Amino acid sequence: MKRWGLIAVVVLLVAWGWLRAFAWFDPLSACRIHIDVELLEGDRGAIRSAIDVVRREDPLVYRALCRWVDRIQEERQCDAGDPQADRRVRGGAGIPLDVLDPAIRRAREAPGCYVRGSRVIVLRRPPDGGGGPALVRERAEALKRLAGYSQAFWIDHGR
Amino acid sequence: MTRRRAVALGILAILVVLVARYFVWVDVGARCVIGIRPSLVGYDNSTVKRALETLRHGSPEDYRKVCVHVGSINPNPSCGGFGGGCFWHGQNARGRASIDVSTEHGLIWTVAIVVHETCHAIQSHEGRPPGFDYEDECYNEDHRIMRALVQFE
Repeated sequence: MKRWGLIAVVVLLVAWGWLRAFAWFDPLSACRIHIDVELLEGDRGAIRSAIDVVRREDPLVYRALCRWVDRIQEERQCDAGDPQADRRVRGGAGIPLDVLDPAIRRAREAPGCYVRGSRVIVLRRPPDGGGGPALVRERAEALKRLAGYSQAFWIDHGR
Repeated sequence: MTRRRAVALGILAILVVLVARYFVWVDVGARCVIGIRPSLVGYDNSTVKRALETLRHGSPEDYRKVCVHVGSINPNPSCGGFGGGCFWHGQNARGRASIDVSTEHGLIWTVAIVVHETCHAIQSHEGRPPGFDYEDECYNEDHRIMRALVQFE
């Protein structure tokens, strides 16, 4: 009996570690959001901190985040268009993004974006690898807004 | 049932589940089956599946085109390098095409590359007049899908 109890504890610990290692895991809220980061440059901790800010500050939005987002990916930037669609760029001309399409520049500077049709939020990797409270605050605000986009998409889509 | 037969059935079941999980996209409702080749570089096939799922919900018309014109997706970087995709114009124009799609740059670009290479498959199936700019049409397609799906403000 004692032996089985020990095995159960070990299994629970391994399962807990597995569920938590690559994700935000909050069993009390039945919330698990996978977090994808670069192997060498990424920092899941900073993203977890931002989610934690959302959880503490805005329970309704946190519920929406858990319900409508299943993955957060950290990428170099959000791309809302392909600059190569412009023949001049393909021809090798160095054209400012603003001239091509201001939306591409704005998306690249945005802290994050939502991909319609998915439950995925992309967060921009800090350009200089920097972190700190300002980054956590910026990401928390982005997560609040982007969770709303996902919720709106899926509620509309379900109609 | 003998023990040996039970083990063989178990192994077969595991193989079927693994193949279904990693190497094929099946959407019974849309009658869409697309093979996905094993990835050799660690970017696992789930990104390709996530891209197809995103298209299915985010742009059903583009998804339908992928289902009609593409038979298999190769997620390994080949002629497109690590950042892009590829369509081989020499392949049989009557059958559903095979496209190469790099998944290295995440979901948004994977969706865009799938749409870009599907555009080339459509060109191959439908034909285009001499002197037609194949790349121009397809870059505009991937630009369009990125503009449509990426919401940032």
